[in-house]
Amino acid sequence: MRLPFESAAVGTDTPWNELLALLLPAYGQTWAMVGIVMALVISIGGLMGIALYNTDRHGLFPRPKVHGVLSWIANMGRSLPFLVLMAAIIPFTKWITGTTIGIAAAAVPMTIAGIPFFARLVQNALNDLPKENLAVGLVTGGSATQIIGSTQIREALPALASAITLNTISMIEYSAIAGTIGAGGIGYLAVTYGYQRFDMNVMLATIVALILTVQIVQFLGDRIAHALARP
Amino acid sequence: MIEIENLHKHYDSAQGRVEVLKGINLSVESGSITAVVGPSGAGKSTLSHCISLLEKPSSGQILIDGKNLTNLSGKKLRAERRAIGTIFQNSALLRRMTVAENIALPLRNLGVVHEQMTSRVAELLDRVGLLDRANSYPGQLSGGQRQRVGIARALALRPRLLLSDESTSGLDPESTQQVLTLLESLRTDLGLAIILITHEMDVVRHVADNVAQLDGGRIAEYGKLHELVANPSSEAGSKLLPLRAEELPAGFSYSMTVAYLNDRVDPAWISRLGIEHGIRVALLGGSVEAHHDGTLGRVSIGVDGALPERVTQILASWGLRATVEEQVREEVGV
Repeated sequence: MRLPFESAAVGTDTPWNELLALLLPAYGQTWAMVGIVMALVISIGGLMGIALYNTDRHGLFPRPKVHGVLSWIANMGRSLPFLVLMAAIIPFTKWITGTTIGIAAAAVPMTIAGIPFFARLVQNALNDLPKENLAVGLVTGGSATQIIGSTQIREALPALASAITLNTISMIEYSAIAGTIGAGGIGYLAVTYGYQRFDMNVMLATIVALILTVQIVQFLGDRIAHALARP
Repeated sequence: MIEIENLHKHYDSAQGRVEVLKGINLSVESGSITAVVGPSGAGKSTLSHCISLLEKPSSGQILIDGKNLTNLSGKKLRAERRAIGTIFQNSALLRRMTVAENIALPLRNLGVVHEQMTSRVAELLDRVGLLDRANSYPGQLSGGQRQRVGIARALALRPRLLLSDESTSGLDPESTQQVLTLLESLRTDLGLAIILITHEMDVVRHVADNVAQLDGGRIAEYGKLHELVANPSSEAGSKLLPLRAEELPAGFSYSMTVAYLNDRVDPAWISRLGIEHGIRVALLGGSVEAHHDGTLGRVSIGVDGALPERVTQILASWGLRATVEEQVREEVGV
């Protein structure tokens, strides 16, 4: 016979055959979060990275002051640990989404953390391009858009693919942390079942799912970057 | 024809104003190659950036066929840039574009329609001898081939001036030769005005018609290659054709430097001095080489058996300019 407190203290492991029913929706939620966040991060962070690069001394529109401000913003966004950032901006999250829990609420701090990170990755990718590219763009009569398109983004595509891969993996990790504020997804599953209810099977399943996901994302990212590289 | 008039460029920094170009005047005729040489820090790259309109001069102007290109900006600048084709050091091709795409870049930037672009690119590939490499990537080409693609790209918009900024530095001798041969043919066939910014005197000697020596932001010397080499007091001339002459041997009264003034010089002039005039000549050093404009040569000789004035006169009648370098002083008797 089981004592009443035993289930709370020791927990009952979810049977293996029921795990999938628990895991799949959570997995879907994780990808929904990462997907929304990455779409915002790539567009906003990408623009910010291009702006960081082009306002710098060797960029298309050198503006030291604008560059300084952008750089300061990027550093600020990256100086807080994600957990602290998430808690600190709860009022902002609530103002934007009207809630502090769920996928939408998690997407706000994830996007805010992801944008400066991706911006720096884009800036680094562009910094690695040959310095003459800008002069080439100018002397061949390129407009600002043509120069950014053909001599910057297109030339940096392999490095940008790697940057997106790295950023996506970071966001998967952040989505798991966001699980602690009830964001849903794999992280939420791990916290509520694995941690709070000592459900070893769920814990193990989430760990395996996360490891596999990261491996697959990295593998695909490497393949894409390789396919984009030229001899 | 390109005319650079009283070009000044300065930068303002915390330490004060730095004047890089202090009034450059230079004109380059269509169908001629002018080399701009000078030590590092002389202002070569700033001048190059001003000519390729990447930097605005502080004052002065650059005229191409009478049209002032300085102080343009925006769309006008983009449109007028096509008069100038720029060739970069290390070719500066875009690595993720094929050879054909690289050459088409200026055409695409100007919105040329596809069919015209394809035929123009094929024409340019043919011109630089790389028709079979249209779909290769720069990483698959040799340094010399890459630079020829760079030249094709510079030619895409039919410029009137071709600016080569150290385009052969870092290339092996064979690739350098390919690039120079191509530049020479462009001068002759297309009648382009070419400005060659370089620190390689070999390159200058091979292709230049005129030479401008830049020093401290000014043109210290300017002239036809031939004239500079023949002028004993020309610093650029002595750098172009260095003379490492031996000491005057015993038994000779003085040494002189002899320069070729034209290509009608009898190659056997040294032996003629001996046979026809009974003058003993010792060859101390020198270099003589062929140039598209005639023979370039500077030779140092030791002479005995005739007064310098007479030798100078004889040589002058053969198209040679002689300058006395070193004279053995008469021994004063005890």
